[in-house]
Amino acid sequence: MVYSMRRVERWARDPGLTVRMMIVLAGLALLYLFFLSALIWSGVDTATVLVIAVLLALFQFVFSDRLALASVGARILRPGEMPRLQEMVERVAALTGVPRVRVGIIEIPVPNAFAIGKRLTSSTVVVTRGLLELLNEEELEAVIAHEVAHLRNRDVLVMTIAGFFVVVAQLVFRFFLWGAGGGSDRRRGNAIALAFVVSLLVWIIGQLLLLALSRYREFVADRMAGIVTGRPLALASALWKIDGRVKRIPRRDLREVEELAAFFIIPPISRESLASLLSTHPPVEERVRRLEQLQRQLEGVR
Amino acid sequence: MRRFLDILLGRAARPAPAKLEGLLTIASAAIPLEAQLGFRPCRLAGMVFKPIESVYFERAQEELEQLLRIAVRETQSRFRLSTDSYRYRWVILEDPDFEDLVATIQAASQILTEHGFGEQLLAAVFRFDDQQGQPLFWIYQYKLGAFTPFAPRKGRQRDEALELRLAAVLEHELPIERRPELWYALWDIPFPVTQE
Repeated sequence: MVYSMRRVERWARDPGLTVRMMIVLAGLALLYLFFLSALIWSGVDTATVLVIAVLLALFQFVFSDRLALASVGARILRPGEMPRLQEMVERVAALTGVPRVRVGIIEIPVPNAFAIGKRLTSSTVVVTRGLLELLNEEELEAVIAHEVAHLRNRDVLVMTIAGFFVVVAQLVFRFFLWGAGGGSDRRRGNAIALAFVVSLLVWIIGQLLLLALSRYREFVADRMAGIVTGRPLALASALWKIDGRVKRIPRRDLREVEELAAFFIIPPISRESLASLLSTHPPVEERVRRLEQLQRQLEGVR
Repeated sequence: MRRFLDILLGRAARPAPAKLEGLLTIASAAIPLEAQLGFRPCRLAGMVFKPIESVYFERAQEELEQLLRIAVRETQSRFRLSTDSYRYRWVILEDPDFEDLVATIQAASQILTEHGFGEQLLAAVFRFDDQQGQPLFWIYQYKLGAFTPFAPRKGRQRDEALELRLAAVLEHELPIERRPELWYALWDIPFPVTQE
């Protein structure tokens, strides 16, 4: 009995991923510490900057749901509308342990899905019409399970908090870019130049680390979806299908949804044009490889 | 703190565990439900879970079927396995003794949990009938560890007034989920047990 329980433990977790995530988080923490001390040293009014950043982050956090839903034109389904889809989401949510999930739909042919929700009790899984038309039910269920896994892992919250100082750095950088520095003596001038360079560096490095974190969390969500639906390869085939479709879509149509790329199951920007370092999502090949590995673990082969 | 770390490092990468503690309370709650409210236990119960394509899961399921066969021999019960259109698997049990029924469902859930598959358990369902023969289901949601009422009517309607009333009346007898927005429906439960 104990033996088989340990088995489950083994495939539910991915220690390599945990270690990598720890390294990224430690990197972020170090970077932020460095940034804060540089800010204070350069004589910038750090307290004011932090207060502004906190207000910004709070604003974003409080209104992000509604903004996101409105900006992509998602419509929340009424009770009894598309009952099969709603029941599928309800069951996956109940199984995963996410209390309340509403279902939204966007009437566009681009196949994609995303989840938003700052609190577990008021979250929404949004799918596009294109996704419903492209996937069979099993694949659709897998994609939904992936989004619900994001909710269970509180990915929006984690990314918002982890990205807080990147927002601060961006703020400081823009502040100096607009020439709001002032002051004439040389020592102060040097300090401001330092703050300028440091905030630019922190912004760029922080953004790269955040992207790495986001990619790891995609793997985690994939894994959980594979376990909840009991068929990791259903998600793999859904990813292939969506990937093939998304790349053929002209960018013009996607500009409006680009902002939400981090929460989409596959970002709508074509991957070839971006280095994988700059991507919110890992390449589909890698995601599928990991899902296949999970399937092997489930079947008891290494 | 542990949950916080799990979230931060993505270690919460598994669904919520199943809670079995509340399940048995339905046996005692059935008494006031019948005596005071006129809902007769139907001797029908079901357990629904999401199967994993895995050799370990198949082993767990074999053990589950063994248990059911033993239960059938010892009591006057019958059972049936079926898979619904959402690819969830149902164990449907029929037993003239309601307490036996609850105990068997509990034992069945325990087997899956002991094999490490508690996460795959969605719900256990107990059917009651009112005097007109209209069904009322008490659905035990394993992840919530609580019961939710479900009174399906013709044309995919629910008798919500009845559900709210029963939830209020049975508050002290059963662990009932207080947020009605979590009272999910389970349509097309593959009752009753047909001849094997």
